[in-house]
Amino acid sequence: MKILIALLALAPAFAQTLVDQAKPADSTTDTAQAPAAADNPVPAAEPWINGSIELGYRFRTNLNGSSPAYQSIVDLSPGLRLLGVDFTIVDPKHRLFDWLSVRGSNWGGDPYNTAHVDAKKKGIYDFRFNYSNILYYNALPSYANPFAPGGFDQQWFNQYRKNISADLTLRPNKRIVPYFSFSRNAGSGTGISNYAQQETDTFPVATKLVDSTNDYRAGVRVESNRLHVTLEQGGTTFEDNDSAYDATPTNGDSTGAIQGQTLALNNLVQAYRIRAHSVYSKGLLTASPFSWLNVFGQFLYSEPKTDINYQDAATGNFVLLNSLLFYNGQTDLATGSAVGPHVSGNAGVEVRPFRRLRITGSWSTDRFHELAYSSLAAVFLAQPSSLSQSTTTLLSPLLWVNDNRGEAMLFWDPIKQLTLRGGYRYEWGNATVPASEQSQIGLLESGKLSRQVALAGVNFHPAPKFYANVDYEGAVTARAYFTTSLYNYTRLRARARYQVAPALTLQANFSVLDNQDPIPGSQYDFLSRDNSLSVNWTPNGGKVFGLLAEYDRATISSSIDYLLPLFLSPDVSAYHANAHIATSAVQVNIPPVRGVAAKLTLGGSLAIVNGTEASRYYEPLARLSIPAGKHVYWNTEWRWYGYSDQLFLYQGFQTHLFQTGVKLSR
Amino acid sequence: MHWPLPSGNVVPPPRPTWACGAMVVAAATLLTATLWGAQDKAGAPTPAPKDNKPAEYVGSDTCQGCHEDIFAAFQKNPHHEVETNKRYKYDGKACESCHGPGSKHAESADAADIRNPAKLKPAEADRDCLVCHLNKPTQVGRINGSHAKNEVACVACHSVHKNGPNGLVARKTAEVNQLCAGCHSDVWASFQQPFRHRLPEGAMSCVDCHNPHGSFLPHNLQTMDANEPGCFKCHGDLAGPFAFEHAPVKLDGCMACHMPHGSPNAKMLTRNQVRFVCLECHSNLPTPTAASNPVIGSIPPAFHNLFAPQFQNCTVCHQKVHGSYVDRGLLR
Repeated sequence: MKILIALLALAPAFAQTLVDQAKPADSTTDTAQAPAAADNPVPAAEPWINGSIELGYRFRTNLNGSSPAYQSIVDLSPGLRLLGVDFTIVDPKHRLFDWLSVRGSNWGGDPYNTAHVDAKKKGIYDFRFNYSNILYYNALPSYANPFAPGGFDQQWFNQYRKNISADLTLRPNKRIVPYFSFSRNAGSGTGISNYAQQETDTFPVATKLVDSTNDYRAGVRVESNRLHVTLEQGGTTFEDNDSAYDATPTNGDSTGAIQGQTLALNNLVQAYRIRAHSVYSKGLLTASPFSWLNVFGQFLYSEPKTDINYQDAATGNFVLLNSLLFYNGQTDLATGSAVGPHVSGNAGVEVRPFRRLRITGSWSTDRFHELAYSSLAAVFLAQPSSLSQSTTTLLSPLLWVNDNRGEAMLFWDPIKQLTLRGGYRYEWGNATVPASEQSQIGLLESGKLSRQVALAGVNFHPAPKFYANVDYEGAVTARAYFTTSLYNYTRLRARARYQVAPALTLQANFSVLDNQDPIPGSQYDFLSRDNSLSVNWTPNGGKVFGLLAEYDRATISSSIDYLLPLFLSPDVSAYHANAHIATSAVQVNIPPVRGVAAKLTLGGSLAIVNGTEASRYYEPLARLSIPAGKHVYWNTEWRWYGYSDQLFLYQGFQTHLFQTGVKLSR
Repeated sequence: MHWPLPSGNVVPPPRPTWACGAMVVAAATLLTATLWGAQDKAGAPTPAPKDNKPAEYVGSDTCQGCHEDIFAAFQKNPHHEVETNKRYKYDGKACESCHGPGSKHAESADAADIRNPAKLKPAEADRDCLVCHLNKPTQVGRINGSHAKNEVACVACHSVHKNGPNGLVARKTAEVNQLCAGCHSDVWASFQQPFRHRLPEGAMSCVDCHNPHGSFLPHNLQTMDANEPGCFKCHGDLAGPFAFEHAPVKLDGCMACHMPHGSPNAKMLTRNQVRFVCLECHSNLPTPTAASNPVIGSIPPAFHNLFAPQFQNCTVCHQKVHGSYVDRGLLR
């Protein structure tokens, strides 16, 4: 607090000097020349509302192919839709607001819809509200047991996730800005999950998915030209009420009998009651104590805590393999808690000792120290009852992560059109994490991170029409957390843009990531390349037609050694992808017919992927927009969705979507 | 300085003769060019005056005389506050707060006589913006961000004069995505694959996940609450803390297993069959160097028969793969 008060006291002094430097000494007399017209920024003739609204109806032809795949990828259905709404209201009298902006899209049954509201009253408040509701649907095969009824969709879920956020920033003072915020993320839906019985068999069961997170926060920003401090306090609450209920007798994924008996689940009731809360604090600082020095820093602390209650009760025919006990009922009761204090901080500095030289340095740390307690009591009910067993398992797992990185970078402008930069980053850390149940090395295992990274870059801007940028990282790693982590890697990105003519611009992107982990036994070899070329051509200012097109070729080649379980036979996990992706949009302004000038847009996208997962995905479209009045457009759109998978042939689908509607604008 | 090898051995530093020589030459070149640059006023953004009298401030109404359209649009622009708010000390001279004193340009009408930030180097143009905007919460992670490192100018995304109260930057999701895709066309191509976040549909925008001004996290990732990756803003049920965490979620993040921009594989996984996502880490490898260079996840085998369909998708049984409240094996 003392530091804060001291910084606040110094803020006005900082604020004056910077502005004074920017102004010439003789500028004071010019103040009188400020135009009086500036007092009324909104012209009187300005309409109080402008915007647009588009309503349409969507038709879909019969779906040819896999309905689950269509729903998992596209999921658009026929019907009346509010396709988009967008308007801004300006209040010239500045009563409740100076202006209010509202946007929304895809209302009326689409799998995703959004709404946004922004409002502002100068010197009083800024308000922002966002809403989104996105369906996460997946019914793609899980392959656990293709012969079992319903075995294809053992990980099916159909869940809406709604996000709401509201932010209110008050402006009582030019330098002190308090703000308040609330957000909520909630998921609800149904699905099929699995009841795993002692790792012997797995039974698909109907599941209800319900969870929500509320986030409350408030803070204050203290701003001046030379200094900014943000102090924020927040808190979250979380609930997970997932449950499963199944009264349909079902056999599990295990297809063989054990000692002549077939395992089965007759009835299951399963309920999670998870409650969590967190309090967090945030402090941000930026300062410019001198014209050649900028300082940044932040400190973040959160302490989430989870309280766990779980229970299930199942009847059927089950087995404990270690004792070959067949039993017909099981109950589990789990309680526990987990606390995960999370501390993050970073500090940075930018120094400009000379006009053509800049030096930046930063350090950051991220520390996650989680400690949990778990108690699981299980009862296995057998006939006769004397064979029944019960177990209680007490565990105290922890997750302890300390990640750090320090970086220094030098920027040098040898000539006006060129900036070179070079730097060095060191990443280090250690982690202690829960070991897998089969590890036989105890509850915990540890890993370390030690990586040195060379950094370089070039920005070349010889003419306004040409720009090129290269960004390079090369790393040597002594220790990494996982076999698939970045190890000795080279990452290069290059980007160039050239305006060939006023109406023609070309852009090319190139990126490569080459990662090698030479440790015997894993031999991880990863190489990805991504090359793209885009063209934007609008001759005559787009009066007749305009073209925006892009072609991208992305390749991935990955191989890593592993031992195939059961017989520990050496094998290689290889993954290759060779993707050709293209997007285009051609807009044609059709010559007027009887005074009506329509616009035709043709284009869409295609993604052709060869390799381990060979697939084709097409989304061509055509859109015709015909003016039907001064503020009315009649829009008609056709899209075709086509998907094929050469490995999982039955996932393919094709369908046409037609959409027609009216857009009113003002 | 010794560069440790992956095996833990240490190699001697490279022979110093040529390296030291190269460093001395590089340092001398750097210093010379820097000092030369510091005195190279011809390259400065403000054009050299044609006479000794410095340019003076003339006020925005003088600018209006020729630039009526920009002046009119600017009246509704958030930057118009500079014109009226004495805090900025440019009241009545907002145009010249960025363009510099305009008396010579007003006399000659010559573009060479006025400072045009759009034609400056990005870092120099940004300095104009950062006079007022540096000390803001949005800029805290600036030097860590790739945009600052690669000198993407503020005006690459923000329109300084643009009409409308909310018009400094794109707000609609489709416009935001179009703006980002203008440079990151390779990333936008990833979103054309079948399994993706809903950006092409306009339900999400790039800034839902990335903070273009820079971030505490790599890849300019947004954060939520105090310091959690922004992914959990929508996927709050996967944030934990769990009693039994799956370490990669906390250590390497979602991208350890997912390709969030788009993938040909279901659930945006990095592999088309789930078992390979798992087995590449849980590779059961008792390697000779494991003692000196252990990695997390190299556990003894689970002895599942992966030829049996029952075991070909690990997450059918180990379904709480992001973390479990109940079970050490992530079964429930």
